[in-house]
Amino acid sequence: MAEHVIGTIDDFPPGSSRLVKVRNVEIGVFNVGGTLYALPNICPHQAGPLCEGTVNGTMICNAATEWKHQWVRDGEFLTCPWHGIEFEIATGRALANPRLRVRQYPISVDQGLVKITL
Amino acid sequence: MVFTVDCDVHVNDTPGALAPYCDLPWRHSLEDLDGANYPYLQIPGFAPNFRLDPPIRGMHPYRSVNTAREMREELTEIGVDVGILFPDHLLLFAAIPHPEYALFLSRAYNRWLLDRWLRDEPGLYGALLACPQDPEGSARDIEEFAREDRIVAIYLPTAGVNPLWGHRRYDPIFAAAEAADLPVVLHSVTIVSPVFPCQLEQFENHFARQMLGHSFAMMANLVSIMHTGVPARFPNLRIVFTEAGIAWAPYMKWRLDKYYHEYRRMVPVLERRPSEYMSERIWVSTQPIEEPDDPNHLVETIRHIGEDRVVFASDWPHHDFDHPRALLRLPMPQDLKRKIMGENALRVFTRIPAPSAVGADSEERA
Ligand code: FES
Repeated sequence: MAEHVIGTIDDFPPGSSRLVKVRNVEIGVFNVGGTLYALPNICPHQAGPLCEGTVNGTMICNAATEWKHQWVRDGEFLTCPWHGIEFEIATGRALANPRLRVRQYPISVDQGLVKITL
Repeated sequence: MVFTVDCDVHVNDTPGALAPYCDLPWRHSLEDLDGANYPYLQIPGFAPNFRLDPPIRGMHPYRSVNTAREMREELTEIGVDVGILFPDHLLLFAAIPHPEYALFLSRAYNRWLLDRWLRDEPGLYGALLACPQDPEGSARDIEEFAREDRIVAIYLPTAGVNPLWGHRRYDPIFAAAEAADLPVVLHSVTIVSPVFPCQLEQFENHFARQMLGHSFAMMANLVSIMHTGVPARFPNLRIVFTEAGIAWAPYMKWRLDKYYHEYRRMVPVLERRPSEYMSERIWVSTQPIEEPDDPNHLVETIRHIGEDRVVFASDWPHHDFDHPRALLRLPMPQDLKRKIMGENALRVFTRIPAPSAVGADSEERA
């Protein structure tokens, strides 16, 4: 395990998503509302290139919305380009299946430098 | 003996029998149908169906049960302690197009059921006939009739229903069932009718139509209620699928989950996987139980659906009825047999008293 500098904080502004390579491992780096997340570019479903998917909000419809559809939490979900499973970036959890979860790499900012532990 | 609840037995609901229970002006229609020697499931304006096949000699005879006493004796004979009654001809009820007549007819059936079948004989319980042609009227009737103790379910006529049961027009019926704490039971029958999924006219004979009539109806209605979120919008509603056997259920469960992964954003009303709703509030009844060469495969299938999700049904007195021994002889542990034959049903049909009380009934009979 070692820390790897992948750029400066300015390279990863809020709302951005970027694919980086650390020791030959592809990692998606996402800035959601000022917080950075690093996810492996391998979908836990069928190993598709998860981090090449789009970042979106999601649709909800429940008693609280009076059973009307609502688009919420824009920028917080990553959609795998293969079968479209939505993952909550902050937790790695698939919305459609709590058993499906993508792991996270530790990511931190130190004096303007962004570091991933791998 | 294993305490046995039979979730599907049929009473002979002729137009003449129902006529005295029907209000005017539609009583006259039933009176005019009385006495005509129509075949089973072939009565104009009552059990509308196309009769497509020529007779072939050697088919088994048609059986019907005409009184509560007969029903009690026959169920006892095959080893059933408790039976839940459904109609015969009105299995085709949903194909009747006239909403006002349909509501009068459903009311007549429900009155007749209470008066002639649920008064005297022990261990007989009823499913109220819901009227998809007039959901608001039906909901009012459910509220009224559900006060009767011997009513333990709401029967949703499924053959030829259009639109399918997930449509929001039926919300009042689901709300009434939920408020009365009664499960809804979907029951189909083979029908040739110009509505999805029962357009079976292209098949040459009843063998083929029988393959798909019930099973398509169950699959299509399961998808229908899932895609509009019935189990999410009515969180206390219990739902039972009958008369298509059980093996279709794992297939649909896995298929729904598979595509929920991909299309969840289209059905956000489902906040959990379809299988999770199925494993909490949906039951499947056994008849016509599949009979694979290796009975272990059937036991395995029961486990795929869930040991708590499968309830016994005989479909007595119909041609393809299952004797309880069709389940009892399966290679499975005694506690699983007890669940399937009766314990699971008591969790769905919660108004049916527990076995000890029913046991007392049996002794009184003896
Ligand atoms: S591989 Fe990502 S959704 Fe299937």
